Amino acid sequence: MSTDPGSAGVKRRDFLKVLGATTAAGAAVGCTSDRVEKLIPYLVSPDNTTPGVSNYYATVCRECAAGCGVIAEVRDGRAIKLEGNPEHPLSRGALCAKGQSALQGLYNPDRYRGPMVRQGNGLVPTTWENALQLLGAQLARARSGGAAANAAFINQAESGSFPAFLDQWLAAFGMPAHIAYDADATHAAMEANRQTYGVAWPRLDFTAARLIVSIGADFLETWGASVPQQLSFADARAKLADAPRLVYIGARRSLTGLNADEWIAVRPGSELAIANALRDAVGGNMGTLDQAAEAAGADAAQLRRLAAELAAARPAVVLAGTTGADATDVALAANAINAATGAVGTAVLPAEPIASFERTAAYADIRALVARMNAGSVPLLFVRGANPAFTTPASLGFAQAMAKVPYKVSFSSYPDETTELCDLVLPDHHALESWGDSQPLPGVVGYQQPVMAPVFNTRATADVLLGVASTDEQARGRFGGATNYREWIAARAGGPRALADALVTGVADGTVLQGPAPTRAAPVPPSTPIQQTEGDYYLVVYPSPLLGTGAGGNKPWLQELADPVTKISWQSWVEIHPLTARELGVQAGDHLTVRTPTGSITAPAYPYLGVRRDTVAIALGRGHTAYGRYAKGVGVNPLVLLASAEDARSGALALASTKAQVTKAAEHSPLVTTEGSARQHGRGIAQAMLPAELDAGPVEHGEGHDIPGMPPLEFGPGLRSPVAADAQGVYADSGSKDKGMYDPEHWSGMAKRRWAMTIDLARCTGCSACVVACYAENNLPTVGAPWQGRATSPVTWDERPGANILKGREMTWIRLERYFEGGEDGSSDFETRFVPMLCQHCGNAPCEPVCPVYATYHSPDGLNVQVYNRCVGTRYCSNNCPYKVRYFNWFGYGEPDRRQYAWPEPLNWQLNPDVTVRGKGVMEKCTFCVQRIREAEHRARLEGRAVRADEFTTACAQACPSRAITFGDAADASWSVAQLAVDRRAYHVFEELNTYTAVVYLKKVIHPAPAAPAQA
Amino acid sequence: MAGILASYRELDSTVHAIEELKKQNFRDIDVYSPVPRHELEHAVNPPISPVRVFTLIGGLLGATFGYWIAIWTSDYWPLVVGGKAIASWIPYTIIGFELFVLIGSLATVAGMFVHSRLPKLTMTVGYDPRFSHADYGVFVRCPPERAAAAEAVLRQQNPLEVRSER
Amino acid sequence: MASLAYPEGRRPNIPSANVQLPAVRDYEQVDNEITATLRPTGPWFAGLALAVVCMLIGAAAWTYQIYWGLGQAGYTPPVMWGVYIITFVFWVGIGHAGTLISAILYLFRAGFRTSIYRCAEAMTVFAIMTAGLFPIIHIGRPWKFYWLIPYPNWRLIWPQFKSPLVWDVFAISTYLTVSATFFFIGLIPDIAVLRDRETNPVRKRILAFLSLGWRNSEREWRHFARAYLFLAAFSTPLVLSVHSVVSLDFASAIVPGWHTTVFPPYFVAGAIYSGIGMVFTIIIPIRKWFKLEHYITLNHLDAAAKMCLFTSMVVGLAYLSEFWVAWYSGNQYEQRYFWNRVFGEWWWSAWILLLCNMVLPLSLYSQRLRRNTTWLFILSLFINLGMWYERFVIVVPSLSHEYEPWQWTFYMPSWVDVSLLVGSFGWFFMWFLLFVKQLPVLAVAEIKEIVPPKMRAYGGVGHHVAAEAHAPALQGGHD
Repeated sequence: MSTDPGSAGVKRRDFLKVLGATTAAGAAVGCTSDRVEKLIPYLVSPDNTTPGVSNYYATVCRECAAGCGVIAEVRDGRAIKLEGNPEHPLSRGALCAKGQSALQGLYNPDRYRGPMVRQGNGLVPTTWENALQLLGAQLARARSGGAAANAAFINQAESGSFPAFLDQWLAAFGMPAHIAYDADATHAAMEANRQTYGVAWPRLDFTAARLIVSIGADFLETWGASVPQQLSFADARAKLADAPRLVYIGARRSLTGLNADEWIAVRPGSELAIANALRDAVGGNMGTLDQAAEAAGADAAQLRRLAAELAAARPAVVLAGTTGADATDVALAANAINAATGAVGTAVLPAEPIASFERTAAYADIRALVARMNAGSVPLLFVRGANPAFTTPASLGFAQAMAKVPYKVSFSSYPDETTELCDLVLPDHHALESWGDSQPLPGVVGYQQPVMAPVFNTRATADVLLGVASTDEQARGRFGGATNYREWIAARAGGPRALADALVTGVADGTVLQGPAPTRAAPVPPSTPIQQTEGDYYLVVYPSPLLGTGAGGNKPWLQELADPVTKISWQSWVEIHPLTARELGVQAGDHLTVRTPTGSITAPAYPYLGVRRDTVAIALGRGHTAYGRYAKGVGVNPLVLLASAEDARSGALALASTKAQVTKAAEHSPLVTTEGSARQHGRGIAQAMLPAELDAGPVEHGEGHDIPGMPPLEFGPGLRSPVAADAQGVYADSGSKDKGMYDPEHWSGMAKRRWAMTIDLARCTGCSACVVACYAENNLPTVGAPWQGRATSPVTWDERPGANILKGREMTWIRLERYFEGGEDGSSDFETRFVPMLCQHCGNAPCEPVCPVYATYHSPDGLNVQVYNRCVGTRYCSNNCPYKVRYFNWFGYGEPDRRQYAWPEPLNWQLNPDVTVRGKGVMEKCTFCVQRIREAEHRARLEGRAVRADEFTTACAQACPSRAITFGDAADASWSVAQLAVDRRAYHVFEELNTYTAVVYLKKVIHPAPAAPAQA
Repeated sequence: MAGILASYRELDSTVHAIEELKKQNFRDIDVYSPVPRHELEHAVNPPISPVRVFTLIGGLLGATFGYWIAIWTSDYWPLVVGGKAIASWIPYTIIGFELFVLIGSLATVAGMFVHSRLPKLTMTVGYDPRFSHADYGVFVRCPPERAAAAEAVLRQQNPLEVRSER
Repeated sequence: MASLAYPEGRRPNIPSANVQLPAVRDYEQVDNEITATLRPTGPWFAGLALAVVCMLIGAAAWTYQIYWGLGQAGYTPPVMWGVYIITFVFWVGIGHAGTLISAILYLFRAGFRTSIYRCAEAMTVFAIMTAGLFPIIHIGRPWKFYWLIPYPNWRLIWPQFKSPLVWDVFAISTYLTVSATFFFIGLIPDIAVLRDRETNPVRKRILAFLSLGWRNSEREWRHFARAYLFLAAFSTPLVLSVHSVVSLDFASAIVPGWHTTVFPPYFVAGAIYSGIGMVFTIIIPIRKWFKLEHYITLNHLDAAAKMCLFTSMVVGLAYLSEFWVAWYSGNQYEQRYFWNRVFGEWWWSAWILLLCNMVLPLSLYSQRLRRNTTWLFILSLFINLGMWYERFVIVVPSLSHEYEPWQWTFYMPSWVDVSLLVGSFGWFFMWFLLFVKQLPVLAVAEIKEIVPPKMRAYGGVGHHVAAEAHAPALQGGHD
């Protein structure tokens, strides 16, 4: 059968066959809901909307201060997916886990439905009219009382015109400039950069570097703008033999540290000595090295070798991200080294600073504000996009200080700790619902536009401010008569037409409105240096790569996503060295009580090779007492352990400022981890090679595999399985006249294809953005919420956070495996390998023949298809899968009336209509985003052409900020995957099982220290 | 048809009674016994049971159907699983075997029912409950004019009872 | 009686083929004593009530699980199979002894079979009825289980005949049908006996219906014997095939610890072994409570115990050869698994099974223990335990330590699993208890066959052939 190509019509038979092969997308979304009117959100749709066809809007991500460009996929009026904007100079099409989770902020079920006003102890809903009236009254009161000059506005640190706009508005009411607060920001480095280069954040180009030394600078996670840095680092690593070594200096091996080729474990507080010694050494004076090594408890020889390398390698980049009281000095020393090694201008580019961080205020400003609040001199407090009551140490007493402020207004959309203390809540639009702009780089403006109608009765803060101003004779007219922020932005952009043009790509030339930099409060360094604080272990508190200092906590994706380093989710943990744990008689999961003069917390222990034996480390971000159902009561907040001490120069909160008493507590709670064994047991899952081996000529695969009389055991061309009965065509002609999609002449060309994927382990940093992308694209349920567990008896339920994950029931179609090599003796000399593991779409899949009902079979284009509607749930396929990448629906995660429901309204608005929500009792797994494959094929079909090489890709590959994943048709040499699949470094996991996988891994390239023994 | 029913306590008297009747050309004889005894079988000397034919045919049909259903259905939707042949006869042998046993056994039972005239809905003439207990029975169908002769023969082997049934 | 001649423990070894019933004198005695066992008693009602309660517990747990989903069971991926599959294999195994005794021993003319095969057959039928439930309990969408059955449908969508699970469907359903038929055919003459003894008109009607109007005519006996022979001939390969097919569920997967060719014979031996264990568990109380010691004599138990000993050694050999192959193959996955089997998280389960299935049965080398009903009963309980754990050791540790170290995990059954396990025993014993009071637990007609018939020529006592048949029994005798 065939229909003439070019005709858009698809015959019914073809359609049924397509349906047959696109089984993954073969059922309608919304089957679980009887609320039919929700299927298409409006009866009369806007002109540019076709039901069932996506629109794409370029906008700006506001999940961190960097302000990457994103493209929102909008289906029938609802944003269903965020992807990086390829046109954007920073993100270049990539998007991190946090950024993608913005959708769950937008659709968060705990968002305020509308304005709230305090009544007694609680906040009650009110109308906007009433709320604005109250606001106006308070402004008038403050101004008439003459106290307006003491009012304070805490706003999130954000890139763009809004800060200056806000300051204008504040000025109009006689109020001082706002405090641009960013609890996650690395102020010390910014301060040092300001002093050295005059800009807060020079762009980094790792590809130019020969050697990278990171002194606690977690540039892949929380230090600066992670996405552009990760892109650049991956590009640098992709240079393989010429790639720069990465040496990590710090007390704890972060994700960045795990990506390092070498770890020099130094005591917290000794980094300055190290940095200075290295600076001297580069300057030619090796004298201070031994002394520094002594102070740091590090190996002097190792340090001397590093110094030699540093002096030799030009350019060598040294980055400092320490969080002690001397952090700025460390960063200054690092900058000095960069200048000496010629990194400035090559790898460190002050000429093109990332503008987002210029105005960021430090912790000191908040501390000063609290002093004023306690003094009762602050009449009026505004908070927007920040949660200081949670992200400042309890010892600061922000919450108590708020009680002394007569009137507190929050613009937050979420019931966070700060907002719950406020008197008036004017919920802001989510970034995806509002207008704005940002300045990624000088001369470039990224525009932010609403991608959909507001989910709730919220109002953009800028519009609220304009509204208030328009009713005020002194403020009226300051804003060029703009009645709303959109007009104001349009005016800046040069008119609505220009704005509309700019919004096509989301970026345009120009600059945003700049305000005067506010004066900063003088820092107050800690009274005693960390070495003198009492306690037997150094305490390292660090922002979580996923949850930051807590902002991510209300997004189930980020709670569920295993921490890239410890692989723990839905839980707080204390990292402790395995040998130390043994000394304390502590097993994994035994609770540890960590006590400092300011407070104490108790959390389960996670024995981790990556901390010094004299150090314990705890991640920030959990322990919320509010902030919605997903955040509240999950984990503990280590900030209670910290005194309010600051870095002497930048005023940043000193996170590494104290030692702590660590004692074993009575309780034990199993770790909510996805980690089975962290060792490969020599099974070659994550393989690596030395640069020397790279130019050893092509590998001859499986010499002498072949058995006489048997089909050859090597892959055919295009990763085709050689076995006679392979799906790709051989058995197509089974005597039937109609070969369906097995027909070599079928328009979709399926029988000619072999969809395949390569994953470059040299690029992969283990950041796990691909996992979140998969959650978003494929409607994966999150299963770890405390109410989603199972019954422990006919009357009791397992209500621990992550109860299902404790039973290994997470639904991550793609997961990041983290294997350690070496360090069995507890030494700091170990290597880490990250392996994204997903369905390998085997040419001869072991899962297929064991299914009794054809629920899984091999499609002609090489996909291992899973038919949810046909699955009866024997789970035999999972038993027979060597890669263990099949996931079972243990509960009715998609049924709204069940406690395990994964998408409480309106989270379900995010569900991808192209992918069915799987029912209770069926198996599911990675489909290679079959819905995207079919969409591309059908689009090509409608346009009367063949699918173009690299025309589309899977969700994981699209999101990857390391560009490690490549997807395509291995049978067609014009796709890039076809070349990568035959790369020198290519290998298949468990090749000996003859599964003929379609996923090809490219070996990691490790760069051992020059003199160090090579262990690959 | 009417006849004479005699019941015996001992096996050998039953055997002798049958032999006598056959000598006297009484052909239509039913013999009852609590348990199957070769002595009786030899005395009656019937043709060999044809049940085995049912068994053979049933078994062959079952095996054929087993292979056919498996091969035809796989071929109808030629979906490749695990790179294996669409119609792979080796695993299908299991289906063939199981159906060979199933149909074969059921056919055997059918054959037994057909040939031993089971199930019977009524207790036909010439049966006595004691035959399932401990005693042997001989029932001779004969026209009334020969009844006397038959009864005479039966009485020679000291029966527990001789009665004429109709 | 004869026990006076031979002091305890110095009895000659009775050939299993030649076990007689000296204390059974004539047909009347057989009828009377066996029909006497059918009178319901208080303890019987109590036992039945207990069984029903257990069954209801299981039923409730299953309903609960169907409503909430399989998450209520203890599954911990990648351990995707658990208690249900273990219990399924366990009950299928139990079933095998029945067919073995009734069919294979029939073909081999093993005399000791006569007294015990009716119970064993009933056990088979009920065990398969129990086992058959578990694949359905186990699957994620039990209401779709019929998709595994090839039924004509308008889209002509059929099962996938290369899947071992479909083989199971055929093997188990065939096995259930054939063994039930075999069971019923053997019952027909005995039902006729009951019918003719029955006084209650209602029960008489029912029995008359069930007996299909059987009237002990020579013609019926002739075809009956033929059919019985062929059914036995069919059941013999069937009983060997069924557990082989079940073993293929594991052997045809690539899971380390499953992927081995020794499984079919090993499973069959294990099945028979466990079945005989269950036969002891059932027979020993029955012969005592129903006063049937002179039908099921110590010689019968002795002979069965020898079979038990033999199969236990076959199973033991299989265990050892598994370890040997794992070591000899040099396959690191296999080696890791087998090391984990005996020293890993579940070391205790492995040692339980080695103790129960390899060590304890060796006691049956002693004739004194073979003839000690108390010991046989205790041993049979250990055998049941050991065989359940054998399946546990095969299923759980294999899956929990597969190829992918990152996915290694631990497994612990939940209260739902346990309730359904209890429920399965309730279900099984409910049927069995109903059986023992409705139908004869001994094969009346076949026992009569080995009782010498009355002969006028010898003054009514059994004639000489029978007398010879008596002779060894006079030495063997019973207590």
